[in-house]
Amino acid sequence: MGQLDGKVALVTGGGRGIGRGIALLMAQEGASVLINDLGASLDGEGVDQGPAATVAREIEAMGGKAASNTESVVDYQAAEAMIQQAVDELGGLDIVVNCAGILRDRMIFNMAYEEWKPVLDVHLKGTFNICKWASVKFREQNSGRIINMSSNSALGAPGQPNYAAAKSGIIGLTLTCANGLARYNVTANAIMPSGWTRMIDSIPRMVEQFKDQGKMPSEVAEGTEKDPKHVAPLATFLATDQAQHVTGHFFGSFGYNYVLMSQPKIIKTLRSDHRLSVDELIEWVPKAFSPELAEIKSDPGVTAAIEALPPGQWVEVQPGYKYWGSKLEPWGELTW
Amino acid sequence: MGHLNGKSALVTGAGRGIGRAIALQLADEGASVVVNDLGTGLDGQGQDTALAQQVADEIISSGGSAIANTDSIADYNAAGEMIQSAVNEFGKIDIVVNVAGILRDRMIFNMTEEEYDAVVAVHLDGTFNTVRHASTRMREQKSGRIINFSSVSAWGSPGQANYAAAKYGILGFTAVLANSLDRYNVTSNAILPYATTRMIDSTPRGQQFKDEHGKLPSEAAEGTEGDPANIAPMVAYLATDAAQNVNGHFFGIRGNAISLYSHWEIAKVIRAESGWDLDALSTNFKKTMDEGIVQPEPVTVEGSDRPLRGTALQQTDLTSWKTLADGIELWQRNAYFSAKR
Repeated sequence: MGQLDGKVALVTGGGRGIGRGIALLMAQEGASVLINDLGASLDGEGVDQGPAATVAREIEAMGGKAASNTESVVDYQAAEAMIQQAVDELGGLDIVVNCAGILRDRMIFNMAYEEWKPVLDVHLKGTFNICKWASVKFREQNSGRIINMSSNSALGAPGQPNYAAAKSGIIGLTLTCANGLARYNVTANAIMPSGWTRMIDSIPRMVEQFKDQGKMPSEVAEGTEKDPKHVAPLATFLATDQAQHVTGHFFGSFGYNYVLMSQPKIIKTLRSDHRLSVDELIEWVPKAFSPELAEIKSDPGVTAAIEALPPGQWVEVQPGYKYWGSKLEPWGELTW
Repeated sequence: MGHLNGKSALVTGAGRGIGRAIALQLADEGASVVVNDLGTGLDGQGQDTALAQQVADEIISSGGSAIANTDSIADYNAAGEMIQSAVNEFGKIDIVVNVAGILRDRMIFNMTEEEYDAVVAVHLDGTFNTVRHASTRMREQKSGRIINFSSVSAWGSPGQANYAAAKYGILGFTAVLANSLDRYNVTSNAILPYATTRMIDSTPRGQQFKDEHGKLPSEAAEGTEGDPANIAPMVAYLATDAAQNVNGHFFGIRGNAISLYSHWEIAKVIRAESGWDLDALSTNFKKTMDEGIVQPEPVTVEGSDRPLRGTALQQTDLTSWKTLADGIELWQRNAYFSAKR
């Protein structure tokens, strides 16, 4: 008896890495899965029918129901067709998981428009396209699950202005879906995933580190804390009926840790009985907002931040499972 | 003696509203300004090239230095030419303020591809385009100021999938700039403004206001909390040498109040010694994360037909205002500070 029996899921980028892990676990929990994967290389070039069909066959081999699709999520009409394919071939659509993504890293001052635009297209527009067409269906049926992949890079990775813009844009899109679709019982959440996938293989520092082993990081990840499959239980949990109340949140999956993030929120306000002049601001901004102006950083190093949590503050929930909690509220300001 | 004497600035969307107020303020502080405005309607249609020139003329007639530019920031090469024209006219580019923006509101399930594309192209691509070209110069000259405009709509405004995606994307993009340009003495910050501009005019509330008062909200904004001029001094401050150490921050501005945002923080973590399965997660999630998941009481916000999750500043603890000086007060969020320290 699986927790997703009778449900249908669409997983984009489901042919490899994190998407594949999610597709397999959702199938194991009883969902029928439409695997979308263009089979392109990491920089978005080429097409390979293989990965999507392979994962679909893997699911069928374990007794599950699956279909495959090799269209691009960037194509608005193709995204509509994916939703239709899930309905036609698998009998409906209850869950969308947006994993498809590419990388073109470069420092801002060297980045070409041709490196900016494709990354924004695949991640942000691709996620919009799927959310748009899925939300039409979800609204009609008064239920649904949207699970979008963001990234810790969204928090300010220096060499990834394109990827960070797209991955943070996805958080805003997810929050809009959560607020706009709440009345239709649709939940929307974002996950910062991790794991040694071919995205990690492309980082020069990692290639250097693994040169001696003769293998790429993604080839040695299986069975370790770096295995991309660790994202799957969190994504699958968010898709279950028991997570009906979990919406508009920003989670992270880092090795054996799951994280609930706090959104940026107003922590201090300086106000006056008149419009402060530039001279007054030069005097009062540092006085009012110290030491936070120096302390607050956009730090993509979430794994390091988890490791830095004081050991004494962890609580054992049950043997083998620990919990650390702050008083921070996870939601942000909604003031418009 | 202005705080920005000898500096050269580009302000996009400077023909009206917030951008115009910023261009005038920067000029007032001594900066030379490229006033960029396509002069389109709020939906990105049409063009009125006179707008940018009017603001440039206004600056020149007050003894300042300015030129007008009416190209679209959504065009990568045109954005490059804007930076180039600042260099040609004023010798360099010190300050880039990205205000230009359009709106095409629609619920996600009704939004068209064109509505998504147009909004993301202007806000997110447009911000990238000017910054990309400016950053090359700023890196060379080892100084610079980038001030990008985000919005509280980024926190999930229900009818603005396109705008929220773009405006949240600008936050992540600004964080990247702060982390990567810091070593070149370039600071990057984002503003989440509140002002009664034609963006407000276009909302149902704006039309209601016109029915009741005979003019649009933007036409009655001067001197009120919604006066776009309220946004300008903080932007000018961030552009000064005095703000060299203010980098990578998100500031909310509303009326005479300026708010500092925290960034993304770890609120809760659950860890398994040897990996998770779904059952273990279900069990442990209830015991741990659910404490943070319990939603606050929905808040009914004026002008919205649905209760919203989350807490507005107006609804939070109002007792902790501290007087700093005559007429100047500071509020701080206690839950944040007890978690941090």
